[in-house]
Amino acid sequence: MLGRTSSKADTGEEASLESHLHRVALGDREAFDEVYGQLAGPILGVARRVLRDPAQAEEVAQEVLVEIWRTASRFDAARGSARAWALTMAHARAVDRVRSADAATRREARAAELMVEAPFDQVVEAVEARLDRQRVRHCLEGLTELQRQSVTLAYYGGYTYSQVAHLLDTPLGTVKTRLRDGLARLRDCLGVGG
Amino acid sequence: MDPEVHSLTGAYVCHALEPDERAAFERHLAQCPTCAAEVAELRETAALLASAAAETPPARLKAAVDARIAVTRQIPPLVDHGPLRASASASARPPRRRWFAAAGWGLAAAMAVVVAVLGIRVSDQQNQIDQARQHSTTISQLLSAPDAHSDSASVSTGGTGTVLVSRSRDEAAISVAGLARLAPGKAYQLWMIGPSGTRSGGVLPATASDSVVAHGLGDALTIGLTVEPAGGSTQPTTTPVMLLPMPA
Repeated sequence: MLGRTSSKADTGEEASLESHLHRVALGDREAFDEVYGQLAGPILGVARRVLRDPAQAEEVAQEVLVEIWRTASRFDAARGSARAWALTMAHARAVDRVRSADAATRREARAAELMVEAPFDQVVEAVEARLDRQRVRHCLEGLTELQRQSVTLAYYGGYTYSQVAHLLDTPLGTVKTRLRDGLARLRDCLGVGG
Repeated sequence: MDPEVHSLTGAYVCHALEPDERAAFERHLAQCPTCAAEVAELRETAALLASAAAETPPARLKAAVDARIAVTRQIPPLVDHGPLRASASASARPPRRRWFAAAGWGLAAAMAVVVAVLGIRVSDQQNQIDQARQHSTTISQLLSAPDAHSDSASVSTGGTGTVLVSRSRDEAAISVAGLARLAPGKAYQLWMIGPSGTRSGGVLPATASDSVVAHGLGDALTIGLTVEPAGGSTQPTTTPVMLLPMPA
């Protein structure tokens, strides 16, 4: 993998995701079905975590999956795994949506919800996600409280780090640092190599 | 390196920066390989956070996506002469090198309608022809280099740039296509951006539509493109319209 590895990239599953994506770039619909099978669940899941609203999450997931089809030729394996490429796109789209003006009114209510929510308690269990979920839950538990809250609010909540700082009543610089060292600790715990 | 900027990697990966901070960080990222490596790792980590949230998608999502992709044209790879880009995507696998070699000559011919040598304005016609021959050779050698990689980026004002780089040869071929026409007295200028600074990669002639060969990449990590006064500038004077990372 051009010197880049991740825990996923070392498995046959991820290698095949990348080769499927390569075939998608050549217009292969069957390869797209494979990509859909592996990524639709996580894409929908992350959109739903960020947006909460199932209808909006589905719209975002649909956009992202079509975008994967449309831009498959631009995926560059030298920059990271296919999974990270797709899920970065999905998260960015969901966050864009949540930050758009029409979503503004819903946000205040969500803030309170998120603060009391334990991670993953409302997520529908999907078999293929169970292992990832267990590992992530385990590793999130290994973070400090502030790291965990910062990462959870920023990533799953779709908040800017200044909003996270406000919600947690913590200095901006601290949140910035906790996001970085929290993710770095997750990386080490999850065995995402560099 | 500014530790303040560097510490934004986590917030960046979580899409937790305000738009202006994000733009500033991305400019920094283009010149900070350490940050880029960290961002790549943290992105893989964040992807696992997303995977952990996976839900079973309803059947109607598949139906909706299928209906849309049936009428959605795929964007081409960022080289207009063949699936170079798509092939480069598969660079982790051996078959790509075979393809690369096989397609090399056609691609070399296509890329070798040469416009300039970096830093040197070509004045007379015989020189141009000689340069063209030399470029054709350089490009075919680049294509066959075991560490040849390509990357592409879009130009914010229209068009795309593609770089084919070999670190072992310390050379790169840069091609641009579809650039917006500039007002008289303006020209596109290439820049080689690396930890030791930014140096000119030469001014593109007004008709630039093809490849430029750069020798002596040094520590340059990014190709920049700006709009400058026709004669070129010693340092960029406008915001880059393209930042094209070169594979390290």
